[in-house]
Amino acid sequence: MASLIDLRSINRVYEMGGESLYALKNLTLSIDAGSYVAIMGTSGSGKSTLMNIVGCLDRPNSGSYSLDGVDILRCSDDQLAEVRNAKIGFVFQQFNLLASMTAIDNVMLPMVYAGVPKVERYGRAVQVLEQVGLGSRLNHRPNQLSGGQQQRVSIARALANKPSILLADEPTGALDSHTAEETMHLFNELVSHGITVIVVTHDQDTADHARRIVRMRDGEIVDDSDRSS
Amino acid sequence: MGFAELFLIAWQGILSNRLRSGLTVLGIVIGIASVITLMGIGEGAKLEAEKQVQALGVNLIYIRPGSIGTSGVSMGQGTAPTLTYEDVLAIKENCPAAEDVAAQYTSSLQIQAGEKNTLTTVVGTEPSFPDIRNFHTAQGRFFTAQEANDSARVCVIGDGVVEDVFSGASAIGKKLLIRGELFTVIGVMEHKGANATGDQDDQVFIPIQTGYSTLFGLNLVSGRAVKSILVQAKAGEDLQAQFQITNLLRLRHNIQSPDGDDFTIRTQMDILQTAQSITGVFALLLGATASISLLVGGIGIMNIMLVSVTERTREIGIRKAIGAKYRDILMQFVFEAIVLSLTGGIFGILLGLGSAYWVSSLGQWTTVVTPSSVVLSFLVSLAIGLFFGIYPARKAALLDPIVALRSE
Repeated sequence: MASLIDLRSINRVYEMGGESLYALKNLTLSIDAGSYVAIMGTSGSGKSTLMNIVGCLDRPNSGSYSLDGVDILRCSDDQLAEVRNAKIGFVFQQFNLLASMTAIDNVMLPMVYAGVPKVERYGRAVQVLEQVGLGSRLNHRPNQLSGGQQQRVSIARALANKPSILLADEPTGALDSHTAEETMHLFNELVSHGITVIVVTHDQDTADHARRIVRMRDGEIVDDSDRSS
Repeated sequence: MGFAELFLIAWQGILSNRLRSGLTVLGIVIGIASVITLMGIGEGAKLEAEKQVQALGVNLIYIRPGSIGTSGVSMGQGTAPTLTYEDVLAIKENCPAAEDVAAQYTSSLQIQAGEKNTLTTVVGTEPSFPDIRNFHTAQGRFFTAQEANDSARVCVIGDGVVEDVFSGASAIGKKLLIRGELFTVIGVMEHKGANATGDQDDQVFIPIQTGYSTLFGLNLVSGRAVKSILVQAKAGEDLQAQFQITNLLRLRHNIQSPDGDDFTIRTQMDILQTAQSITGVFALLLGATASISLLVGGIGIMNIMLVSVTERTREIGIRKAIGAKYRDILMQFVFEAIVLSLTGGIFGILLGLGSAYWVSSLGQWTTVVTPSSVVLSFLVSLAIGLFFGIYPARKAALLDPIVALRSE
């Protein structure tokens, strides 16, 4: 069976003052559907660049990337937007909710761009918010919610279009240890429902929840350990 | 995304910064309101001018002598004593398309009644004058053909003159001295107001024959000179009348080349066209002035949209990350600009209608707001939103999602 994510010989180069900086160096990585992966590394190790490429926000300079059978490097910007919308859910360190919208409006936004009919949108948004335990906070704005609650709204938003991948960038970075723990439990639950979860972090405790840990340094994978067996 | 959806997103964007949106809208409100008001004033002036020309009479033809020219310097139309009372008689006799004819000789003279005196325009004319000019007596009567033939010393005065020398009291039967000559007031004209040639109520009318024998005298060259001839053409025969008069006068004045005419003929249509072209320029100038404020308002929208795009870079990044396409972001900001300018347009139209009404109620100006100017304003505000919104919106839609997400 082909992997869900298949990256081959990926190079991502930044030109700076005539010098070429390799953020990713000839990187090859494949991730199967339903796995729970943590990508670790210090800042500057290339883990954020990797996440941007996996998340179809950025394009590599060379290499190949197949996601769920789609050749990502041949996609136009609008096609990439469609892929992000349908297959990938993002969870950011700073939550990145729209401050002027209520929790439910934030969760409905990806469905707006997907063209989901209005009635269906509302029902699905309520459902995912209940799934993350925020069924009673539908009409609160982000500034009326705690950090942990905001994080759960952003997870609900990521799940709105039933993605196959959840990409989390330092999901616990802005949370206290207790809420961080809760968030990681939520991820475990999602994995048990068949969603592929990829967490980018520099925090060992967060990474320890994952079944596979990929360590990066200077744009290369230095260690890839599967702990599920 | 449907239009309702886009409208909603745009509306949320506008409401999220009410004060700033309100101030931006204000620019368009003022621009549209001034366009509506000033175009209303221009349109009103046009209508007023048309009304004044209509008030001159019906099928009116106006003949004036040519100009005096000495060594290439023209003194302007009407300065040469080339038209005479004999021309008037000839027109009466030989032009079948002319219904009625009245000669006019005007002169600025001092008048006096009791202890009061003033300088006014004395008009020597004929009994047909009131009908031709559509300008009638309010009290008493105009002089008759008999009085004209007898060079009777009678006069009819405008209501402004009544105010000036009779202090508004009844003037009928009173004596009036015109440059020392004694006249009896037999009538007072109706109130007519001022037109382009002056205050029509500040005039004294006397029989032209009386004028020649007492006040105006005879011209050394032409004898009984006239300053203008008013002709009322028969209904629908303006052109024939103009043609007949032109030929007759050329014959009488021995003019071979049409360029050598020593008189000018203007029909009411000519006067109307002149008035319309003048007021048309006036209306255009007013409209152009107002458009400048509209342009400034539009630049205000562009400015605020650019600020908004910069401020909301992160929001744009988030929207792109969760699946917004180029068109989604473009439409969001274009719609926001259009909603801003249309809101301004609607309030501007209301304010413009209100202020046009207010200007009218002051009594100095007539304003006419045409439906077309309202529709035009609405479309212009729509176009402003589109035109000034598209650049900031494009800037937003082309943002790189990673760069946008990283911005604070």
